[in-house]
Amino acid sequence: MNGASVVDADVGVVGAGPGGLAAAARLAAGGLSVVVLDEGAGAGGQIFRQLPPGAARPAADHEPPSHASGHALLAAFAASGATLQPLATVWDARPGRLWFEQHGASRLLRCRRIVLATGAHDRCLPFPGWTLPGVLTAGALQVMVRGFAVPPGRRALVAGSGPLLLPTVTALRQAGVQVVAALEASPRRRLWRALPGVLGHAGRRREALWYARQLWRAGVRLQWGCTVFACEGDGRVERAVIGRVDAEGRPRRDTARTIEVDVVGAGFGLVPSIELGLHLGCAARFDAGRGGHCLVVDADQRTTVDGVHAVGEACGIGGAEVAAAEGEAAAAAILRDLRGGPAPAGAAQRAAAERRAADRLLGAFAPLPGLAELATPETIVCRCEDVTLHQARAAAGLHGTSLRAIKVGCRAGMGPCQGRICGPFLQALAGGEPGRPMDLPVVRVPLKPVRTDTLLQAPPG
Amino acid sequence: MNGDRRASVGFTFAGRAVEARAGDTVAMALWRLGERTLRHSSRDGAPRAVFCNMGVCYECLCRVDGAVVRACTTLVQDGMRVEPGGRP
Repeated sequence: MNGASVVDADVGVVGAGPGGLAAAARLAAGGLSVVVLDEGAGAGGQIFRQLPPGAARPAADHEPPSHASGHALLAAFAASGATLQPLATVWDARPGRLWFEQHGASRLLRCRRIVLATGAHDRCLPFPGWTLPGVLTAGALQVMVRGFAVPPGRRALVAGSGPLLLPTVTALRQAGVQVVAALEASPRRRLWRALPGVLGHAGRRREALWYARQLWRAGVRLQWGCTVFACEGDGRVERAVIGRVDAEGRPRRDTARTIEVDVVGAGFGLVPSIELGLHLGCAARFDAGRGGHCLVVDADQRTTVDGVHAVGEACGIGGAEVAAAEGEAAAAAILRDLRGGPAPAGAAQRAAAERRAADRLLGAFAPLPGLAELATPETIVCRCEDVTLHQARAAAGLHGTSLRAIKVGCRAGMGPCQGRICGPFLQALAGGEPGRPMDLPVVRVPLKPVRTDTLLQAPPG
Repeated sequence: MNGDRRASVGFTFAGRAVEARAGDTVAMALWRLGERTLRHSSRDGAPRAVFCNMGVCYECLCRVDGAVVRACTTLVQDGMRVEPGGRP
């Protein structure tokens, strides 16, 4: 832990993934003092997670080509003089102030500029049995293997949608786990639609070829148009029911078959983590291709709130290359603001080009509406408060289909995750009108649950 | 885990003495030991375990030395007392 309850810096960065690291390294190299807050134990974020010092590497330690840029970012960050505050949970903020809990202590970061690099989390969809121990998000399995070298199980099912299924499969293989099935819910024609976005970008082309080779070597075939219907077991997952879905994602129950597994990774894409930005008052807009509600930024990554920039997934899902380029662009703009002098050439243009390329690829994997039919009336939709789909529908019928009305009516989204898991699908499942834009998440202080002591002992800002 | 050069850390889970590696989170140390269930749902008592493993979902809430914390964002430490079932 790093002493004082109040820390001062020119720039406070939230998130030590590629966007935050790129911004922090560039800002510190430009002579500004930078403090980075992250909930993880080390730098890298979810995508470039590092093993704890001294940990044994997995038996087959292969990394995709893109991770070279991760090592470069981590090295640049370490050499830059920027400070990382790990295991830090931000629970309140206003421009120039970030209150956080760290090791049970209540702390405050005072800064002149804030950079939000808050990243994303897995898009979940409820299906019968998804609360069983051993059923996890796809991201959770990657963290397990790449962040801790823990083998998740012996026989795995990977199901969901989008490019992140591939690193999940390779992570499992590296940990020696047998991948019994790898299911992509999208119809195969989406592959052809995504292809220009892959082939037109040198980095993604290399990456796709690397994953194709890994899967081929492991003998794992990605099955398109299939997904997980249900998970079963006594106290932990023992079986999964899988089958085909139609082009809209509706399960074709006649194709269901059961496989034996002891771990399941499910991930239907990513959702931007924008709660901190919303709380700061930043405007957001809905973009289905970018994963849902995204913070609005200009070419210099300025949000609609003075002194607050946002980069990477919080501005829409785009991947590590986009995040790093946007981190550089935000840093260039902040250096210009705080230090004067000419603008470093090209950072904003490079970020815009990366963003356009990512939009072309990820637009092909927009969520399939029919997957909502995986849940039955008895399926729990809000894991925190144990609310079933039937109860959520009843609440929507009685109180209205806004996120707030459903929450008030049945407590869905009122638990400790504050709707981060169920929010993205709750309205669609509980009977929202098709085509009606989703409500913004309801955000309140504390932004994440913290100890009462943390609230009581919060340094005045 | 051949070649692991990390220090060994001793803690208790549900009163039972267990061992972990420094740098592991409580969630990962317990997973390594085959312990999946970290709490039971308040309504039907069904077992729950690590779900997102990155501090978002709060499924892995447990009690560490009396305080409710996320097992996936808490590092193991020597002498820690971990109890399952952390909903306040």
